[in-house]
Amino acid sequence: MQIKVENLKYTYSPKTPFEKVALDDITFTINDGDTIGIIGSTGSGKSTLCQHFNALIRISKGKIYVGEWELHAKKLDLGALRQAVGMLFQYPEYQLFADTVKDDVAFGPINFGKSKEDADILAKYALELVGINYDEVAEKSPFELSGGQKRRVAIAGIIASRPEVLVLDEPTAGLDPQGKREILDLVTELKKSYVKTVIMISHNMDEIAEYCNRVIVLNDSKLLYDTTPRELFANKELLSQTGLQAPHTVRVKELLKDRGIDLQGTPLTQAELISLLGGVL
Amino acid sequence: MEQIAQKDIVISIDNVSYDYRSNSDEFVARGVKGVSLSIERGDFCVLLGRNGSGKSTLAKLLNGFIVPDSGTVLVNGIDTKNDDRIYDIRSKVGMVFQNPDNQMVASIIEDDLAFGPENLGVPREEIEERITWALETVNMSEHRKRSPNKLSGGQKQRIAIASVLSMLPEILILDESTAMLDPKGRAEVMETAMRLNKDKGMTVILITHYMDEAVGADKVFVLSEGELIGQGTPREIFRDRELIKRAYLELPIASSISLELIEKGYDIPFALTDEELVEGICKLK
Repeated sequence: MQIKVENLKYTYSPKTPFEKVALDDITFTINDGDTIGIIGSTGSGKSTLCQHFNALIRISKGKIYVGEWELHAKKLDLGALRQAVGMLFQYPEYQLFADTVKDDVAFGPINFGKSKEDADILAKYALELVGINYDEVAEKSPFELSGGQKRRVAIAGIIASRPEVLVLDEPTAGLDPQGKREILDLVTELKKSYVKTVIMISHNMDEIAEYCNRVIVLNDSKLLYDTTPRELFANKELLSQTGLQAPHTVRVKELLKDRGIDLQGTPLTQAELISLLGGVL
Repeated sequence: MEQIAQKDIVISIDNVSYDYRSNSDEFVARGVKGVSLSIERGDFCVLLGRNGSGKSTLAKLLNGFIVPDSGTVLVNGIDTKNDDRIYDIRSKVGMVFQNPDNQMVASIIEDDLAFGPENLGVPREEIEERITWALETVNMSEHRKRSPNKLSGGQKQRIAIASVLSMLPEILILDESTAMLDPKGRAEVMETAMRLNKDKGMTVILITHYMDEAVGADKVFVLSEGELIGQGTPREIFRDRELIKRAYLELPIASSISLELIEKGYDIPFALTDEELVEGICKLK
């Protein structure tokens, strides 16, 4: 499902003294199968942009096409759209609410009109997909679980409705290193299922470098770059303009260059850096 | 002649255990078990451990927010179980938490900073002086009369630190205070904490999941399942791969790359930072 954003503009508290332009003339396209990173400093408009994708924020100016849906249209089948575009907020574990893990995950499908039986089957499948042992955990309270587990249950709650597009707002914030790795590996796994497109907000450039095939850079409400991580991180000036930091692998390459060792290429992962180093050592 | 300086221990924890209990039999969140450690005045300490390993529990034990089920916590020699002295302890141990949006009590920044000392009955003139000093220390003086709600995350956390500073603490605890910030905000908070430590000699205890933030520490403590399973300099800790694995931590990327190169037979030293790694690689050439 392709997502096309055309000349999107959004202003908070318009026509008041607190008026603030959050998105200014944003145009780009997300292709089917993309894992696209949305990056930029706090307040650059990342979350505001992403909340447009399932019409949590209705369009005031510009257009967004999500597959067949025209989000700028007056009449919109919100239920169907929100089933197709799943949205995971920051710290989603705070939104768990049901008595049992099973009920929490089945809530979405029931809300979208599935029978209790069907919803339970979808919930079971979703929990297994996120690596939760259903028999062990289904009847537990979500509040008994560890931080990483809670977040996976929250993700299961979104994907139980079988969205084609998954929007993740800082999915690894606050998790320990292993929890982070698990969530990112899970996103990779999910893309082998019915989730076709992933849109991910992150402040962690190491993550973006390793997991995204494309990256959108927002700066001060404007779209600054629509590129690949490799292009972005190869360009030192471009990065410093946005106040972003390069991934460690790229930093090492830059530091080596200052010392007269020129690695040919932009390493995005540890393995890539090691292999480039092999060429010069 | 070499002299052995008397260590100035500011926090001393002896065989401390704490269990969270609730009415439900099923629900027992993990606390800490049999932890003993001491922290020297002026040290920059980092607490590492996976989610649920007991880091925040330990932090709460340090300012008497909770008291141990068994064992003792001494802050400046005062037992946190001593109810008569609890305010002495709390004013000496300042804490900043994770979420920049829920630590402000006032709508104007200087009022937020005045809240703590006002509660202790500090005279108005002295409060004014403390506010001036605290805001200068975190480089936020120009925001004194403004509202905190227009600030960035990093700025809000610096105000939270300033509010703690207005109590003139000797120990600053940052409980994942950088977790919700963007890279720029994180750098601001880390720089502020480092500066307070180096220039003002403040003891800093930082709880974090970012291994990068631990590499500059004087001392690192590693918790797992409520137990202290390692302590030492960052180099000692990150060289101990068994320990890192057991605590479900990871290595700083530079360390991981240097180890992989060593395994491949290159003669380079173990690196903690990108700079050290590059230094090692350059020496090979």
